Amino acid sequence: MRGTYLSYAAKRFAQAVVVILLAYVFTFVVVSILPGDPITNVLRDPQNGFSEDQIRQIIAAQGLDKPIPVQLWTSLSNFVTGDLGLSMRSSRPVTTLIAEVLPSTLILASAAFAIALLLALTIAYGTQFVPKRFGQGLLRGFPSLFLSVPNFVIGLALIHIFGFQLGLFRVIAPDSFWATFFAAIALGVPISARITEVLIANLDKESEQEYAAVARSRGLGQARLFARHLLKPSSLPVVTVIALAIGELLGGSLITETVFGRTGIGSLVQRSVSTQDLPVLQAVVSLAAVVFVLVNLIADLVYPLLDPRVKLIGGPRVRPTTADDAATATSAAVTS
Amino acid sequence: MAAQDRLTADTFTRAERTAPVPLRPLPLLRVDGLSVCYGPHEVVTKVGFELGRGESLALIGESGSGKSTIARAMLRLLPSGGRATGRVAFDGQEVLDISERGFRPLRGRAIGFVPQDPANSLNPVRTIGAQAQEAAALLDEPDRAIRKQLILETFAEVGLDNPQRVYGSYPHQLSGGMLQRVLIGLAILPRPALLVADEPTSALDVTIQKRILDLLTRLQHDLKISLLLITHDLAIAAERANALVVLKDGVIQEAGRTASVFSSPASAYARKLRADVPALNPDRYAALRDVGFRTFKTGDTAAPKIEVSAVTKTFTVDGKTLTAASDLSFTVPAGTTHALVGESGSGKTTAVRLLLGLEQPDTGSISVAGEQITGRSPAALRSAWRHLQLVYQNPFTSLDPTWTIERLVREPLDRFKVGTNKERDERVLEALADVGLGRHLLSRKPGALSGGQRQRVAIARALVLKPEVIVLDEPTSALDVSVQAGIVEVLLTLQANLGLTYVFVSHDLALVRQLAHTVSVMHRGRIVEHGTVADIFDDPRQPYTKSLLESIPSGGAGVAQATRARPRVTAG
Repeated sequence: MRGTYLSYAAKRFAQAVVVILLAYVFTFVVVSILPGDPITNVLRDPQNGFSEDQIRQIIAAQGLDKPIPVQLWTSLSNFVTGDLGLSMRSSRPVTTLIAEVLPSTLILASAAFAIALLLALTIAYGTQFVPKRFGQGLLRGFPSLFLSVPNFVIGLALIHIFGFQLGLFRVIAPDSFWATFFAAIALGVPISARITEVLIANLDKESEQEYAAVARSRGLGQARLFARHLLKPSSLPVVTVIALAIGELLGGSLITETVFGRTGIGSLVQRSVSTQDLPVLQAVVSLAAVVFVLVNLIADLVYPLLDPRVKLIGGPRVRPTTADDAATATSAAVTS
Repeated sequence: MAAQDRLTADTFTRAERTAPVPLRPLPLLRVDGLSVCYGPHEVVTKVGFELGRGESLALIGESGSGKSTIARAMLRLLPSGGRATGRVAFDGQEVLDISERGFRPLRGRAIGFVPQDPANSLNPVRTIGAQAQEAAALLDEPDRAIRKQLILETFAEVGLDNPQRVYGSYPHQLSGGMLQRVLIGLAILPRPALLVADEPTSALDVTIQKRILDLLTRLQHDLKISLLLITHDLAIAAERANALVVLKDGVIQEAGRTASVFSSPASAYARKLRADVPALNPDRYAALRDVGFRTFKTGDTAAPKIEVSAVTKTFTVDGKTLTAASDLSFTVPAGTTHALVGESGSGKTTAVRLLLGLEQPDTGSISVAGEQITGRSPAALRSAWRHLQLVYQNPFTSLDPTWTIERLVREPLDRFKVGTNKERDERVLEALADVGLGRHLLSRKPGALSGGQRQRVAIARALVLKPEVIVLDEPTSALDVSVQAGIVEVLLTLQANLGLTYVFVSHDLALVRQLAHTVSVMHRGRIVEHGTVADIFDDPRQPYTKSLLESIPSGGAGVAQATRARPRVTAG
C-alpha cells in the first residue's frame, strides 16, 4: 500500500513538473509571437539615448539576435536554475522584485483563504442545525449572494464603513492589521461561496445516506453526527474545489490590492502590463502556473489519504479489464 | 450529560413500573393506530401490534407495503417530510411525542437497529473500530481500552473470525456478510431490550443468510432480546418469528401467531404471498416446465444449443492470480433451462461473460447455437449476439432512464437492421405483448414503471431479435417474491411457446428448482456438481450442495414435514 502511494506520488510530481515547464514554454512563445517589439521600443526610446551600435551590442549581449528556439532554451534553463532575468524598466532582477511584493500577497491570500474556509464551515454547519423556521433558507441563500457581489464592491463597502465611518483602519496605511483583515474579507467572501455551495450540497446528500440514519440509531446527536460522520465524506469533493479556488485567490488579489491600495503581486502585474515589462510578466505568469500546479498536486496527494476507497493507479500491477471482474475476483478472494 | 439523560429515563420507567400492576404483563412494544404520511400521501394506515419481552414478531410485505416505514417511524428515523401519528409505546413510554432529546437515551441502549443494506450502512471513510466506539460509548465504561475489548468480544460473538483486523478495517475492505455481522454486533453491544432488523439478509447469499438469521435467533434467546423482524420473505418470517403481521399498501391484512397465519392463512393476500414463495411451491410451474422436459427426453442430443468445454479463465489482481473459472464444462439441450447456481464470488458472473464472448477464456471452447464464441473479436461476435441475448440482474440500472420503452425495445432491431420500419414497429408490439405489457406503455420512460414492469421490458428487449438463447443473470434478485412469480411465469410460457434455451444464473436454489431442467453448482470457480434438477435437489452428493440446500428457508418444522411428504419430481 505504502509503495503504491509513493509511486503514485512520484508520478504525480513528475506530471506537475512537466506541466510547469510547458506553461513556461507556452507563455514564452505567446510573448514572442505577439505583434510589436517592446524591447527595441525601450532601447530606441530617445530618452535613453543609445546609439545604433550600442543597441546592437546590447541585443547581442542579451542573445536577442539568436533564433527563437535558442532563446527559449536559454530562458528555460535560466528559469529552471531560478534566474528570471532583469526587469526592463528598473533593470533590477525580477526575482528581487517579486520577493519584495510576494509576502504581502501571501499574507492577504492566506488570510482570505482562512476566512473563506471559516465562513464556508460556519454557514454549512448552520444549514444542518438551524431549523427551517429560524432562517435556514437565508443561510442557504448566502453562497449565491456572495457569488453575485463582485469583490471590489465588497471592498469599497468595507472601506467606506470600517475605514471612513468607523475609523477602524486608515486607508493610507494599507498594511495595518485591520486593513489587511478587511481586504482579506473582500477577497475571501466570493471564494467561500463556491466552497460553501459544494459543502452544503454534499452535507445534504450525506445526511440522507443510510449510514447517517444508522449512526443516529446508535444514539448520536446532531453535533456529533456532523463532526464524526458527515464532515469528512462531504469534504472530499471540497478538496478539489479548494484547489480551484486558490487560482481565483490569485486573480482576485489583483483587484483587491488595487482597491485597498496595497503593494503586492497584483500591483506589480498592473505596472508591468502598462509598461510592457516582459520579463516580469513572464515570471508572474510562471509563478501563477507553479502555484496552481502545486495546489492541485497537493490536492491529488491528500485525496487518497482522506478517502480510503480511492484506488491508486501507479504500481506495476495488471488491472482487471472491468470493474465487474475486479468485483468477482475480489469477492472470490474474500470467500476463499 | 448522556448519563443524566439515562438516569431520567430510568427513573421514568421505574415510576411506570410502580404504577398499579396490570392484569397481564405490559408488552415491551405496543403500537396502536400508527399512521405515517408523506405530505398528503398516507403510506401506513392505522397499524397496531404488540411485541412481548423475549418474543419475536415479523412484519411481512412487498416493497411499498410500509413495513420499513413502520420500523423507521418507531425508531424516529423517518426521512424529512415523513410524519407519524398514533401511539408507539416502548416499555410503557410513549416515543412519538417526546422530544428528540428525550428519545435519544433510548437509541442504541434500549432499541437496537440492524439495517437492510450492509454496504451502505457504515460510514465509508471511517474505520469499523471508530464507529464501533460510538456504540460502545453507550455502555457506562469510561476506559477506552476496556471498551475496545468489549467490542472485540462482541465481534467474536457474532462470528467474525479476526476481530482485531475487522476493528482496523474500512467498510469497503469487508464482504457484505461480514459487514452485516458488524452491524448486528454494534446493535447488540449496548444490550438493547429490542432489536429491530430491517431485511437483515436480503442483500446476502443464502448460506450467509442462514448463518445471520441463526445468529439473530441465538442472540435473541441468549440475551433475552425482543426481535422485530422485517422481511418480504414469508418463509423466513415463519421460520424465525413467533407472530406474523402481514401488510399490504400500509394496511394490515392479517396478524396472529405464526403457526396459524402460516399454515392456514385467512386473507387472500397472505395466501397469495404463500403461493409465491418458491421454496414452498417447488412444482408450481411443473406443467410449463414439462414442455422442456419432453424436449429433453426426445431431444436432439446430437446438437446441444450450448456447448461449454473445459473453459478456464484467470485474472491477476494485485500480483495474485485468481482463477475465476476452472475447467468449466456443460451442455444445454435446445428448449431447456440450465441453471448456474452459486454464491457471490463463485464465478457465475465470469461464466456469463465468457458465454457472451465479453471475456475470452485462457483455454477451452464455447459454442452457442452452432456458432463458436471463443477466439472471435467483438466485431465478429455480432452475428452470434443475434441469437444470444442477456437479461441483466437489476432492471433499475440496466435501462436508460431517458429513453422511452419503445426506443429501448426497438434498439436491437435498429442495430441489426432487421426488417422495414413498419415490421420493426410490429415486432416491438409483439415482444411487449409476449411479456404481458400493453402498448400504452410505449411512450413511457422506465422511471414510470414498477420493478417488475421494467424487468419485463428488459426481457422484451432481449426477445425482440427472436434469439435462440437468452442468458438470465439473476433476473429476479432485485424484485419482490410476488413480482418474481410473474416474471418466472412469463419466462416459462415464452420457453414453452418459442422453444427458447435459457441459461439461468441464480443464488436462489428454491427458484432454480421451480424453473430449471439441469443445474450446475458452482463453488470457487469450479462446477462441483451437476445434473438434472431432481438429481441435485433430491440426491445431492457434494457437501457444498447439501449446505446450499439446507440454507433455503422453508418456514419452520411444520412446513418442512409437509415439504418432505410431497411426491418426487421425475425428470421425464
